Amino acid sequence: MEQVQEEKSTNMAFSKVITSRLGGKTITLCYQCGTCASSCPVAKITPRFNPREVIKLSLLGAEKEVLSGDSIWLCCSCYNCQERCPQKVEIADVIYALRNIAFKKGYSPNIYLEFASALLNNGRIVKISQFVENKRPTLGLPPLKPTGVEALRKILSATGFDKLRLKEESQ
Amino acid sequence: MDRVKVGVFLADSGKQLSKILDYNDLTNYVKNISGVVYVARGSEFWRGQGLQNIINAIKDEKINRVVVGGTLPKLSEVKIAQAVENVGFNPYLMEFIDLKDHCAMPHQETPSEATEKAKAMLLAAIERAKLLEPLEKLEFPVLKSVLVIGGGIAGMQTSVDLADLGFEVNLVEKAPFLGGLAARAGRFFPTDDCAICIQSPASDLKTITYTSRKCVYRSGFSEIPNLSILTSSKVVAIEGVPGKYKVTIEKKPRYVNEECIRCDLCTTVCPVEIPDEYNAKLKTRKAIYMNIPNVHPPIYVIDDSVCKFHDCAKCVEVCPTNAIALDQKTEHITLNVGSIVVATGFEEFDSSVIKEYHYDDYSDVITNLEFARILDGFGPTGGQIIRPSDHKLAKKIVMIQCVGSRDRRYNSYCSSICCMISLKHATLIKSTYPDIDVTICYIDLRTTGREHERYYERAREMGIKFVKGRPTEIYRDLETNKLIVDVEDALLQRFLELEADLVVLAPAMVPAKGTKELAEMLGIELEEDGFFKEYNAKLRPTETKMKGIYLCGGATFPKDAPTTSLHAHSAALKVMKLLTTGKIIKYQRTAVVNEEYCGDCEFCPVTCPYGAISLVPTTENHFVAQVSDLLCEGCGICVGTCPLNAIELRHSTTNQMLAQMKALLSINGTPKPLVLAICCSECGHTVVDSSGMAKMQYPANVRVMKVPCTGILQIHQFLEAFKAGAHGVMVVGCKSDGCHYEVGIKKAEKKVKLAKVLLKEYGIEPERLEMFNMVFIEGNKFAEAARMMTDKLEKLGPLQLMASSQVEEVT
Repeated sequence: MEQVQEEKSTNMAFSKVITSRLGGKTITLCYQCGTCASSCPVAKITPRFNPREVIKLSLLGAEKEVLSGDSIWLCCSCYNCQERCPQKVEIADVIYALRNIAFKKGYSPNIYLEFASALLNNGRIVKISQFVENKRPTLGLPPLKPTGVEALRKILSATGFDKLRLKEESQ
Repeated sequence: MDRVKVGVFLADSGKQLSKILDYNDLTNYVKNISGVVYVARGSEFWRGQGLQNIINAIKDEKINRVVVGGTLPKLSEVKIAQAVENVGFNPYLMEFIDLKDHCAMPHQETPSEATEKAKAMLLAAIERAKLLEPLEKLEFPVLKSVLVIGGGIAGMQTSVDLADLGFEVNLVEKAPFLGGLAARAGRFFPTDDCAICIQSPASDLKTITYTSRKCVYRSGFSEIPNLSILTSSKVVAIEGVPGKYKVTIEKKPRYVNEECIRCDLCTTVCPVEIPDEYNAKLKTRKAIYMNIPNVHPPIYVIDDSVCKFHDCAKCVEVCPTNAIALDQKTEHITLNVGSIVVATGFEEFDSSVIKEYHYDDYSDVITNLEFARILDGFGPTGGQIIRPSDHKLAKKIVMIQCVGSRDRRYNSYCSSICCMISLKHATLIKSTYPDIDVTICYIDLRTTGREHERYYERAREMGIKFVKGRPTEIYRDLETNKLIVDVEDALLQRFLELEADLVVLAPAMVPAKGTKELAEMLGIELEEDGFFKEYNAKLRPTETKMKGIYLCGGATFPKDAPTTSLHAHSAALKVMKLLTTGKIIKYQRTAVVNEEYCGDCEFCPVTCPYGAISLVPTTENHFVAQVSDLLCEGCGICVGTCPLNAIELRHSTTNQMLAQMKALLSINGTPKPLVLAICCSECGHTVVDSSGMAKMQYPANVRVMKVPCTGILQIHQFLEAFKAGAHGVMVVGCKSDGCHYEVGIKKAEKKVKLAKVLLKEYGIEPERLEMFNMVFIEGNKFAEAARMMTDKLEKLGPLQLMASSQVEEVT
C-alpha cells in the first residue's frame, strides 16, 4: 500500500507529494509572510535554515535541493512558527513530512542513520561507553537497566522502522 | 365551469422551422387532440397579425386556453402575456413551448424524429393547458416610510436620498452622535479631505444643491422635512411583512434636551473626568461631553455610567437654557415602516487577541482608528504625533498590516481597505513631518482602485520604508525601553529588529457589534465571515432575500468611502422602487396548504427559504401550515419537502406536472430509449435553450419538462416517469451554490441520491437517474449529457423490474 503510493508520487508535483503525507497537508496555504522565519530561533542564528524558504522552495518544486540539503534537519521543533502562522500552515509538521520523504528517498544525514542502527541494536540511540558506566556509581547513580531491545525491535519492526533502515543499508 | 377550449398557435419562424418539422403533420395531429378547438399557423405570434389572431380568438370566446408553439419563448411569452392581460384574459391560462431551440435546432439532422418529438411537446402543453386555472392578481399595501439602521455615512446618504424623494425616513443610530467610523477617521482616501462630509440635502435652500457638499453639522441634515433622527437608539423588535413592518426602538436617555445651545458651560463645571476612549485615551473627557466639536446633533450627552446625577447636578445649575434633564428615562418608540435599510457598518477587530503584538500591554501600540484621532487636527493632540505612554513626539513609527485579517485563525478574508488606510496615514505623516521615520510591514500591498496606486508611489517618493514581512512579535527592549518590531524582510532575507516609538496596527474590519442579533430579528442571513449576505453579490448587492429589507455600506463587507456612497445611493433607489407605488402587485403563483392533510410536522416552515410558511392553530391542539402569499416566491421547495403531499404550488400542481410528463413520454418516434429531462425554470431550462441556440445536436428521445425549481420534485415523480415510459431521468438544475431559490437544488441533489437507493430496491438500475448542475452558457454540456445519458441507457437496455437481489448480480 505504502509502496504503491510511493510509486504514484514520483509523477506528481512535489507539492502534491508533500500534501499527501502526514503533516504536509497545509503547505499550499503559505503566502510567504515570513512570520515563521522571524519566529524561528534557529533561523536567527544560522542562515542554513529558514522555514519560509524551505516552504517556498518546496512549493516551487525544488525537490532535490530541499531533500538533499541539511536545512530540514535543523528545525528544533519548537513549534513557535506553527503557533503564529496566520494561514494555519503546520510548518513544523510539514518539515517532519519532508524529513520522512527525504529518509525514504535515501537522503538522510549519517547521524540519524547511526541513531537508527544504535536503537535497533542496543535499544538506545547513543552507545553507552564503559567510561560512563564506570562513572555512574561514583555519582550515586544506579547501574543502567537492560533496554529490552528484543521488545523494542518488535515494536520497530511493526511500524516498519527496521525496513527503512535496511533499505538504507542495501543502497 | 366552462368547457375547456384550447387554441393552438403554431409558429414556424418565417418558414424556417417547417424546413425541419413537418407542420402539416403537426397541424393535423393537434387538431385531433380532444379539447383543441382552434389551430392557427403563422410565422410568429408575439406581434402583428399573429398576436391579433390570438386576441381575436379570445375576444370571440372561441378559446379559453392558449398554447403557443414557437420561437423565442422568453420574448414572446412576455409580449403575449401582456397583450392577453390587456383584453382581460388571465395570462396564467397559457402555455408556451419552444419548437425551435428545444426541438428543431438540436434535432435538425433527424427531421422526422424531431417532428414526433414536437408532437409530444405539443400534446404535453395541451394536456397541461387543459388543467390550468386562472390565478388571482393580489395587491398588498406598502407604507411610504423607511427605517434606516445606522447613522454612518452609508445610512446618512441613504436617508438624505430617500427624504429628498419625499419618503418619511427614520434614521436610528446606537451612538449618541451620528457619523460612525467616518466621524472618527478624520480624513478619507482617495481625496484626503474630511471624512464626515455629505452632499447637501435638497432642503438646504442657500446652496446650489447639485454641486455642494458639506460637513454634516452645517449641511442642514437635521432640517430635512421628512427625516427624523433617533440617536442613542437601537432596534429591539421587528414584526410584520414587507411593506408593513412594526418596529420597536429603544431610545436611551441623553439627559440633555433640544434646548442645548452648546455653550460649553456644563463641561467646565462637571467634576467627573475620565480617559476619552473615543480619542484613543489621549485626553480626558467629562461625564457630560461631545466626542468631537463638529458632531451631529450638536447637543451634549451625559455618560450615565459615571455621572453622579442629583448628587452633583452642577451642570443643571449653570445651564442657561435649562437643557439638562437628569430624570429622562429610556423610551420605547414604535414605528410603522414599509421598508428597512441596514447600514450598520463595520468596526475594528480586537487586536488584543493577538497576544504577541501586546496591544493591551503597551500603550504605544495603537490601531489605525486610534492613530486617525492623533492625526486629526480636531483630535486630542491637535494633529501632533505623540506617543500615548509619555506624550513625547514620536520619531519612529512602524505600521503592521493584516492584524487579524488574511488570518485563518480569526478572519480569513482581506479587509480590502487597510492597505490604503495605512498608506493614507503614512503619507499624511510625511507631508507634515518629513523627518519622522515611517516603516510599513506588509504581506501584500493592495492598492486597487482609481488613484490608489498614486498613494503607493507618493509614499515611496516621500521615503516611507516598506518591509515585506509580517512581524512575529512586538517587544519592549528592557534597556532602552523602546518597542522593537521583530520581522524578517523576505526580499532581503534578513532579520530586522525595527525600533519604534509608536507601532500602528492595521486591524481587520469585522461586522459591527450586534450584527448577528439584528440579522436574526430581521430574518436575513449572514455570510460565513459574519457580514450581512446580499441577495446576489453580482447583480443585487443592496438587496436581501427578504423583499423590503435592504443593505448598504460596510454592513455587507468592509468598504471605502466611494464604494459606500455608491452602495448607499443604490439602496435608496431599491427602496424607492418598492415604496413608490404604495403597493406590491403579484399574481398568486404561490403554494397552498391542504389543511385536511397537513400534519403540522414543521418541515415546510423550516425549509422555506423565504420564511413564508408559519404554523397557525386551528383547533386547540392542532396546527396547520399557512403560506403567506406576499412572501412566497413560488419555488415549490415546500411541496418537495412535505411528507404528506399536503402542499400544492399553484400553476405547477402535481396533476399538471403528471399530465405533462405522461404526454411527453407518450410518443417516442425515435429508435432510442426515452429520456425525461426535468429542468428548473432558471438555469436548467435556459441551458436547454442555449444548446438549441448554438445548434448543438442531441437525440430527439430527450424530452424536456420545466418545473419552477428542482426543489419541488418528489421521489414518487421519478417513479412516475419510469412508469410513464422513461428509460432514464435527468434532473437539470442550477449550480449547487447558485440556486435561484437558495436551497432548491441542494434538496433535489439529496432527493436524487435517496431515489437512487430506492430505485435499486425496486429493481431499477440507479444510474438511470442522474443529477446535473449547469448554467446557461453550458449548452454544450447539456447536449453532451443528453447524448451520454442516451448511450448509457442503450447499453442498459429496456427497463426491467427486477428483484433487488438481481440488481446486485448485474452490477
